[in-house]
Amino acid sequence: MTQKTQGVAYPYFVVALLLFVLQVAMGLWLGIQYFVTVPQSVVDVFPFATARAMHTNLLVLWLLLGFMGATYYLVPEETGTDIAWPKVAYAQLIVLSVTGVAALVGFFFGWTQGKPLLEIPRPLDLVVVVAALAFLANIGTTMFRARHWTAIQGTLLGGLVFLAVMYLFGIPFYRNLAEDWYYWWWVIHLWVEGAWELIAAAMTAFILLKLTGVQRSVVEKWLFVELGLFLFTGIAGTGHHYYWLGAPGYWLWIGGIFSALEPLPIALMVWDTWKDVRHRTTPLRPRLTWVYLLGMVILHFVGAGLFGFAHTLPQINYYTHGSQVTVSHGHLAFFGAYVLLNLTFFYLAIPRLKGYANGQYDERGGHVGFWLTSFGVVGMSLAFAVSGVLQSYLERYLGQPFMVAQEPMRLWMAIVAAHGVLVVIGVVLIVKHLLTLKPMPAGTAGDLAGS
Amino acid sequence: MTTKMAKLIFYIGTLSSLVLFLALTVDTTGQFAALTHADTLDEQVVAGKRAFERRNCNDCHTILGFGAYYAPDLTRAWARLGEDSIRRRLEKPEVAFADSYRKMPQQHLSATEIADITAFLKWVSNIENHDWPPQDSAARWKRSTERMLAAAALSPGAALVEQENCLACHSVGGRGESKGPRLEWIAGRRDSAWIADYLADPQKLAPGSEMPDFQHLSVGQRHMIGEFITALAARRGGER
Repeated sequence: MTQKTQGVAYPYFVVALLLFVLQVAMGLWLGIQYFVTVPQSVVDVFPFATARAMHTNLLVLWLLLGFMGATYYLVPEETGTDIAWPKVAYAQLIVLSVTGVAALVGFFFGWTQGKPLLEIPRPLDLVVVVAALAFLANIGTTMFRARHWTAIQGTLLGGLVFLAVMYLFGIPFYRNLAEDWYYWWWVIHLWVEGAWELIAAAMTAFILLKLTGVQRSVVEKWLFVELGLFLFTGIAGTGHHYYWLGAPGYWLWIGGIFSALEPLPIALMVWDTWKDVRHRTTPLRPRLTWVYLLGMVILHFVGAGLFGFAHTLPQINYYTHGSQVTVSHGHLAFFGAYVLLNLTFFYLAIPRLKGYANGQYDERGGHVGFWLTSFGVVGMSLAFAVSGVLQSYLERYLGQPFMVAQEPMRLWMAIVAAHGVLVVIGVVLIVKHLLTLKPMPAGTAGDLAGS
Repeated sequence: MTTKMAKLIFYIGTLSSLVLFLALTVDTTGQFAALTHADTLDEQVVAGKRAFERRNCNDCHTILGFGAYYAPDLTRAWARLGEDSIRRRLEKPEVAFADSYRKMPQQHLSATEIADITAFLKWVSNIENHDWPPQDSAARWKRSTERMLAAAALSPGAALVEQENCLACHSVGGRGESKGPRLEWIAGRRDSAWIADYLADPQKLAPGSEMPDFQHLSVGQRHMIGEFITALAARRGGER
């Protein structure tokens, strides 16, 4: 930590982590409903749909709060100035948290826009837009006042503006369902395979810079190449969602070809990180932060890159589209690319915010959380994948009715839920460790000097 | 690689993809009207879409393959289930899914909402989307029609289906109406004994259904119809 106002990041991290716990708890309840018969009386009051809206919106909300907190930490350090209006930053957190809670309570009482992942009703959308504008104004003003531009902040600002603009496409009511989904993907796909990737690339570059001590010019050079490839494959790659929604046939070609290239920038990111780690000038301490960084890079590649590639070609997607195969990819990709990114950043920032020397902290208790959660999510994604392949074969290929094909999948959904239990326990441990982070106990500092 | 080169990769990569994407978006926007039959997209269909969103249907069901994966895809629900079966499910899900291990919430929909949602689903089922989803593919079902016509002379069940005019409400292959469910879909879920029982007294097994009873047929004839229908069950793979 180099600037005083970086401290506004901490409450963002705290709220994000608490919402994370709620998100995975809701996820476990969703998983259970796939193999247990929930009685009609419960379904009437709290249907699967409501719980699903909560699970996904909590995910989006906590990841975005994490990004915002990370931005408030990163920008002052990059620009060498304080945040323009720290009070606005606090107010904006309160507004977004209240809006989030209002939306969750609203879902329970059936107040919804009814569009998956974008269920937040329109009046609340407007509040979100106002808060987002305040955020961008705050960050933008800080950067413009400082006039100390770096590629990392430029990328971050670009990603955040891109993110905010795309959100607008999800707000209107579309009369035509096909058109509705066409623009829905401008929000969802261009977020996760566009704007969020920019934010992730900037955050990762910042983390590498701080952890490895590698030269800035080297990190930034590869950042440009990665971004170019991310956007080249990602923008036209949106087409892989346009195969079956009533759009012209050329999307099968465009979507297939561009999205098949999407693993490339992620592979470059893996190579780039590996290179920086090898050329580091600092020791691999704290180990846990490194475990998170490498876990993120690897699972980002496997979850988003490989699992995405597996069903992106139209010949395969014809059978897997809208099945549990999608769910498998979705869970591992979000975990690898964005959940671990936020957690890595929290482990980088929180010890520095608390003023611990060299960003060191007491790692005890932190490793178990990482491994339980990662093992749980990987196992869950594999069980979803088996379930999805069964569904693709039985329902889509053989033509069995939906509920007939679901029967043999129930065992695998039970295995999903069992892994979900591990995830919930792991996440509780991670959150507890991060929120009660302690400095390194005296006497172990010698380790650091020796390594 | 120099930084200048890296920046060049960034600009060329981003801009080329963006220009291509926006150009195709303009073209696609122009083609949506024809591909989705927008001329049949009337106010009732729009009202149905609003009801579909208000009831958060999409967070259990997929439609066009998007949404949640907890309940069947609705893209071709109108063609698969028929209007009477849709009404029965929306009106009294607690009855329609009494025997199912997965339930649908009772949301107390009005008769207007049910009619609107049905109109919406009918419009959706005619969207031209490269014949997705495969399990409801009309092209694949047509082979069943051919099988039925070929067997009609030999199979007494098929002859009875023709004689009793089942296709005035049900569809099979490319023929028939969408008031009741497709016969092939029934075949995938039921056995011939169940179908024979159902023909004798539909109200017993599907309360509220508009299906008439077929008491005037003998028990043997009802079983023949059941056997014919179950023979339509999807057994694809080898014949593609």
